[in-house]
Amino acid sequence: MRNVANQQGWVVMLRTQRVSRSSVSVLVLFACCLIGPSVSVSKADGIDDDLAAVARTGPGGRGSVAAGTATRRLSRNGLELLPRLLQAMDTDNIVAANWYRTVFETITRRELSRDPAPEFPVSLLRSYVTNPKRQGRVRRLVLDLVERLEPGATRALIPGMLDDPEFRDDAVAAALTRGDRAKQAGQTDTAIAEFRKAFRSARSPGQVGTAADRLKGVGQEVSVVAHMGFVTHWHLLGPFDAPGTSGFELVLPPEKQVAAGVDLAATYDGKGGGKIKWVRHHSSDRLGQSNLIRAIAPVKEAVGYAYTEVLSPRSQTVQIRCGADDNLTIWLNGKQVLKRLQWLNGTRLDRFRTTVSLKRGRNRMLVKVCQGPQHKNPAVPNNWSMQLRICDAQGGGVGVTNGLPAVPEKNAANSRELNR
Amino acid sequence: MRNAFCNVRDWLTVLVVISAVTGVVRAENWSGWRGPSRNGVSADTGVPVKWSAESNVAWKTPLPGSGISNPIIFDNRVFVTASDGKSLANLHVICLDRDTGEVHWQQRLWGTAPTRYHGNKSSMASPSPVTDGRHVWAFFGTGDVFCLEAATGHLAWHRSLSGEYGVIENRFAASSSPILYRDTLLLQVDHYGDSYLVALDHKTGANRWKVDRPGRWLSWSSPQLIRLSNGRHELIVCGSQRVESFDPGSGQALWSAGEMRRECIPTPLFIDGRLYVVSGPSGPSMRIRPGGRGDVTSTHVEWKNSRGSPFVPSAIVVGKRYYLVTDAGIATCLDTTTGKSVWQKRFGGGFTASPVAAGNRIYWVNESGVTLVIRGGGDRYEELSRNPIGESVFASPAISQNRFFLRTTRHLVCVKQSDEKTP
Repeated sequence: MRNVANQQGWVVMLRTQRVSRSSVSVLVLFACCLIGPSVSVSKADGIDDDLAAVARTGPGGRGSVAAGTATRRLSRNGLELLPRLLQAMDTDNIVAANWYRTVFETITRRELSRDPAPEFPVSLLRSYVTNPKRQGRVRRLVLDLVERLEPGATRALIPGMLDDPEFRDDAVAAALTRGDRAKQAGQTDTAIAEFRKAFRSARSPGQVGTAADRLKGVGQEVSVVAHMGFVTHWHLLGPFDAPGTSGFELVLPPEKQVAAGVDLAATYDGKGGGKIKWVRHHSSDRLGQSNLIRAIAPVKEAVGYAYTEVLSPRSQTVQIRCGADDNLTIWLNGKQVLKRLQWLNGTRLDRFRTTVSLKRGRNRMLVKVCQGPQHKNPAVPNNWSMQLRICDAQGGGVGVTNGLPAVPEKNAANSRELNR
Repeated sequence: MRNAFCNVRDWLTVLVVISAVTGVVRAENWSGWRGPSRNGVSADTGVPVKWSAESNVAWKTPLPGSGISNPIIFDNRVFVTASDGKSLANLHVICLDRDTGEVHWQQRLWGTAPTRYHGNKSSMASPSPVTDGRHVWAFFGTGDVFCLEAATGHLAWHRSLSGEYGVIENRFAASSSPILYRDTLLLQVDHYGDSYLVALDHKTGANRWKVDRPGRWLSWSSPQLIRLSNGRHELIVCGSQRVESFDPGSGQALWSAGEMRRECIPTPLFIDGRLYVVSGPSGPSMRIRPGGRGDVTSTHVEWKNSRGSPFVPSAIVVGKRYYLVTDAGIATCLDTTTGKSVWQKRFGGGFTASPVAAGNRIYWVNESGVTLVIRGGGDRYEELSRNPIGESVFASPAISQNRFFLRTTRHLVCVKQSDEKTP
């Protein structure tokens, strides 16, 4: 909110908004606060000291006593504090943010309970809500307040926030609703446009799937796999023998080779005495899940490996999100980046996440998936599976593509049976 | 247990004696998860046995969002936690008037890292808060711990354990309820990531000690604090595969026993010098003599029985009987001395809430909101009443000052005796 255009916007609002005399000072304070520290009202005073005391809270309960004293004092202020308070609340220090929030709640509750309620700086609050650079949690809190002051504000603001980091899900839900209504009204083109908007912006798996389903319902096919960044092309190796739950700590040949490069031509002694070798695998599952029972073998107490190479269009920081039944370990470009112990919990979407750096071009990834013993209840079906995607922090694809040579589909073990 | 909490209880005991002399009925607070003893048992004698959605309801107050934490009661205040909003990361601590249900204060706070949750059966507000009457400590599945002044709701300190030690990786959200020990707040944080126990200074939130638990993963169980006959305290923790004991003052490991299941939810009980632990389904209930050192599986486990073991609800002991209910509603009564089965009965309905008891009455609340009251301690099953509240219930109830508190999916309901005078 510090660029010139925004500052001009504030000036326009200050000129055009109908305000009472008492709220002029609130507006000026808020605008000055947002314009920057050079304005005289932001000089150090008791309020600045108190806000700063709260900002110093942190790990280990640090600064709590001072913050307690400061927030008691800050809470005695009226609406004139809101601009500076909201500025301070725009922090990624969750502890400080909560202290500030207690002040915000106290002041707004008290002012809302007055009869008549004083005039809140609604336009300014709206601008705070629509600024995607602000902390999402604070924007949402302020939107709640705006909604109380101007019922219907949420409905008016949300549709324009399809790519907003905080309100994206709300806007996608609104687009889906509009699409449904259009479809019911026989306006197919409008429905398609709304569903496409929803799909393009959707990041939560449920909404991605819903938008894809809606598009399919109007004759439009889209790829959930590409949109969400699932890795579906693999070389698979297994099963290695791993009695009980020993597999997690076993160090088998692919792990020993991981720094220098996995030998895809090698053969090994597998579980049961037979020779095992790497085989190509492609998952046709909508959410990229690989069924290792089918693709490797219907075994228990074993270890399997999956290897792939992906191409990144640039050097970038991404998330690997994954899940497996049972537990999994991941090496990226020879370095272990995730190791999670779990047994018998099913492959759940995005169960685990880790942030990694991809280099531009080819990146090598090895995944180890253990298969534990049968559940004590013999009725629990044998499951051995994995799922992995590479995405940005919001869950969207990052342009990573398969780097393995193409093979005819008929030559690849497949996981199409998991299609949902 | 020379702590503030215990001092208050001492005073309450004095009050009860005075009241008995003067003919006035007084009763206990319910200051944390499963009440004052953490065993689900109240010393109250005048707790209602019959009610419905329309009758004997003293008050009913709507609650925001969701939560399966039990309400806690201290004197005239009732505290309850809830969560709502995006990913249930908007956290609430609410203080209500015990007599009227009016909201004294409500603090809304942000959670650091909401975990996955599972419909009605869990929430970011699954752990129950705890109070000493002056402060309320609330832990949430987001990994946040808050200390608030009981009278005003003013924040005293906040710890973001997720921010400091990593996001809690727990598919149904963390539900372990903290416990007070002297001037520390003890928390069990077991999950797929780095599990640990931590003791926080109850006034400042600073760490007193922290013990990493690399061999323990997912668990929802709440720790238990026990006092041995020699006056020493032990912190009892049910985790994956083992129940373990620690020195609550230092975090030093004392003993452990095996045969627990991979995932533990029920809270251990401590009755007459013996521990009762269970982890299911199909895992064993075990009676353990505490006070050992090292692995005591073969020396201190007095009996074990896998009959009727629940996954979620904790057990309860009344007299010489140990009671369990499975999540599917099969109730089992075992003899506390031998571990042998006394009776088994299908209650009806699913169960997430843990039972509570007052006197020899045991209260079982099913997910449909029907509270079944049975007479406990005997050799035969004896049903006293079935009381529908008309709303789903997943939270464990609370008993305090002869009132029964039910947290439904939408309301906090206070049930009174039919002849209780309106305050």
